[in-house]
Amino acid sequence: MYALGLAVRFTHLGCSVLLVGSAMVIVLAGRSDRPTAHRWERRMLAWSRAWALVALVSGLAQLSLQTALFEGRATALLEAPALARVLFETQVGRVWLVRHSVLVLLSAFLLVDLRVARRADWRAARGEAVLLGAVALVPIAASGHAAAVEPGTAVAIAVDGVHLLAAGVWAGGLLPLALLLRAAGRDEGADTRPYAVLAARRFSRCALAAIVALALSGTANAASQVGSVAGLVGTPYGRLLLLKLGLLVPLLGLAGVNRAVHLPRLSGDGPTVGRPAMRRLAQFIVGEAVLALGIMGAVAAMGATPPALHDAPAWPFSFRLTTTALEGAPEAATRALVGGQVAVLGVVGLLAATALKGRRLPLAGGALVLLGAGAALAFPPLAIDAYPTTYLRPSVPYQATSIAEGASLYRANCAVCHGTTGAGDGPGGRGLPRRPADLRAPHTAQHTAGDLFWWITHGIPRSGMPPFGGSLAEAPRWDVVNFLRALSSGYAARTMGPVAEPDRPWLVAPDFTFAVGPTPARALKDYRTRRIVLLVLYTLPGSRPRMAQLAQRYDTLVTLGTEVIAVPTDAASDAVGRLGAEPRVFFPVVTEGAGEIVAAYRLFATAPHAELLVDRQGYVRAIARGSGEAAEPNALLAQIAQLNEEQTQAPAPEEHVH
Amino acid sequence: MRAWKAALLINLALLIGVGWGYLFWGLRAGRLEKDLAAARAAAATVEREWTAEGVVRAILPEINVMVLTHGEMPGYMPAMTMGFRAASPKIHESVRVGDAVRFTVRGVPPNVAITAIEKAR
Repeated sequence: MYALGLAVRFTHLGCSVLLVGSAMVIVLAGRSDRPTAHRWERRMLAWSRAWALVALVSGLAQLSLQTALFEGRATALLEAPALARVLFETQVGRVWLVRHSVLVLLSAFLLVDLRVARRADWRAARGEAVLLGAVALVPIAASGHAAAVEPGTAVAIAVDGVHLLAAGVWAGGLLPLALLLRAAGRDEGADTRPYAVLAARRFSRCALAAIVALALSGTANAASQVGSVAGLVGTPYGRLLLLKLGLLVPLLGLAGVNRAVHLPRLSGDGPTVGRPAMRRLAQFIVGEAVLALGIMGAVAAMGATPPALHDAPAWPFSFRLTTTALEGAPEAATRALVGGQVAVLGVVGLLAATALKGRRLPLAGGALVLLGAGAALAFPPLAIDAYPTTYLRPSVPYQATSIAEGASLYRANCAVCHGTTGAGDGPGGRGLPRRPADLRAPHTAQHTAGDLFWWITHGIPRSGMPPFGGSLAEAPRWDVVNFLRALSSGYAARTMGPVAEPDRPWLVAPDFTFAVGPTPARALKDYRTRRIVLLVLYTLPGSRPRMAQLAQRYDTLVTLGTEVIAVPTDAASDAVGRLGAEPRVFFPVVTEGAGEIVAAYRLFATAPHAELLVDRQGYVRAIARGSGEAAEPNALLAQIAQLNEEQTQAPAPEEHVH
Repeated sequence: MRAWKAALLINLALLIGVGWGYLFWGLRAGRLEKDLAAARAAAATVEREWTAEGVVRAILPEINVMVLTHGEMPGYMPAMTMGFRAASPKIHESVRVGDAVRFTVRGVPPNVAITAIEKAR
């Protein structure tokens, strides 16, 4: 089924591209009265008819396969109601409808034998074929992965549309051009040689523009669908893209040779230079066309593969390069710096070699040696161990419930060696071959969530760290990872005081959900970009004066765009009643979800009364431990005003994984 | 037929196709939006009733206001903390601060008042 779907996609895409390309080459070549050129044009038209029909048939097949996929059963292939549902109620279906209406129109137009003896008629007819072909090809962008990009859907579709159109002009034009050159290179094609040379020159210019457009739009597409090196090398989609690029390199090489060597020779002395060059050019262009077909195969497969950005990457190497490896290692940093400079010298040498006329080879050789030496010097200190799961995104989000769950798993499974505080000083750790890691230490931040997940799952050989893959399911292991992340960032947060440092968000506030009485649950994330949140963990009766103070100033806090969320540390379900009728507390007092919030945020502040100021991006910016340390209302308002004025756009916390 | 005429006809057909697509999908969407707006406007002038769950946050009988943190009232307002007038003074006496309640408000927005309240569960 999958192979069939792929074949159908490939056929449909190939025919749609060829329709645009052949019509474009005919327009570029122009009208000619020479018999050979005329024969070629009629042949291209006949083939275009065939391509249009094949595109329609493969399009129908693609629609029924898509319907079967949507309905989840193979028997829906030919069910009219199911097909109608897909056609009229999905975007894929509507785009299909529009494109195939145009394809029908194009087929009808190609089948009618138009009289094109006059110049205006010829232009109108051939131009119309290009237009219809393009209108049938470009909307594919609106039914592919580009239509699922959020935000910026329209831009992504437009960029992908440009990519398709450029591919149609270049890749689709190769085969017709090769046929023209071959016909003109024959003995009996002598009449058409000047015409073919002109066509090749015009196509070459047009193809150059198309390649530039392809490169730019392709880069933009890759950025929005792949996004990272891990996605490129670690997912099926990314590897298909690498395959595509791998086919593109020889294709560009052939195109470069054609443009630089064969094209100028066409205008040389006819029988000794021009004709052999023409035949050679035709062969090379056929080679290009074959590579382009391979690329379209990769594209057809990419269309049926989830984009790397939405896939879990499996890192294929045993190391990765990162500058965080240099933190706290001055010698390694020096080495990386020196190596980097040497490599830059090498690059400069290579550039000079391409610019210079004479002595190119020795210069390029020396530059390559420099580049290699620089890389060999710089890379080892930057490399740290990596595992297949290194760039895996946690399947359990960084949330208070997960952290609380992870904390209890940690106490049960890990504390015996790593210690209750994570310092690596548990009684079970003594006598192990390697001292258990201090999980609070800054070096924990060098490791990705995926690294920690790998060690928890598989253990660390010859160190005493056992594997937990057998005893803990996947979700609980991610819970432990989330707990470790909170633990180490909580340890780093011990220096964070009650005064917010301007423009320095770094401590991610774990998300949580809460409810007040029977009202629907809300999440901390709901306040993101809208409100600053003052999270108050309180313990009665000690916190009562401070709560009265906050209650009194609540209207001012709200006016400044701040919400106060009060969490009773005893997680009492009657917390609102226990605060009493006086003073009147109107901010949310959490009655459901308090236990998890306390368990998670206790890692940041252990005092009976603690206040955490969370900015609009979702970062904790200030922590007051104890109601004595909490800022006077006016000082608090001043800090909020300062946060309100900040311009910094920190990345959304979820992307900030250590 | 001259080819340029054929090309012109086809372009015309394309334009008609675009127009038909607009009539079919664009106008339908526009009409739905208009209907929705009309329905909303009509709803704003009739007396209606909402029942929601909430928590009593404050009782201020001297100004006839009860502050409730309440769930969504479909078609009126999302979940929030706000003050409501009570239809009768008895309503203030039947609950205390901190009680989880189920209450009914009635009226033409924004003039609504609590007509019934009872402890939940």
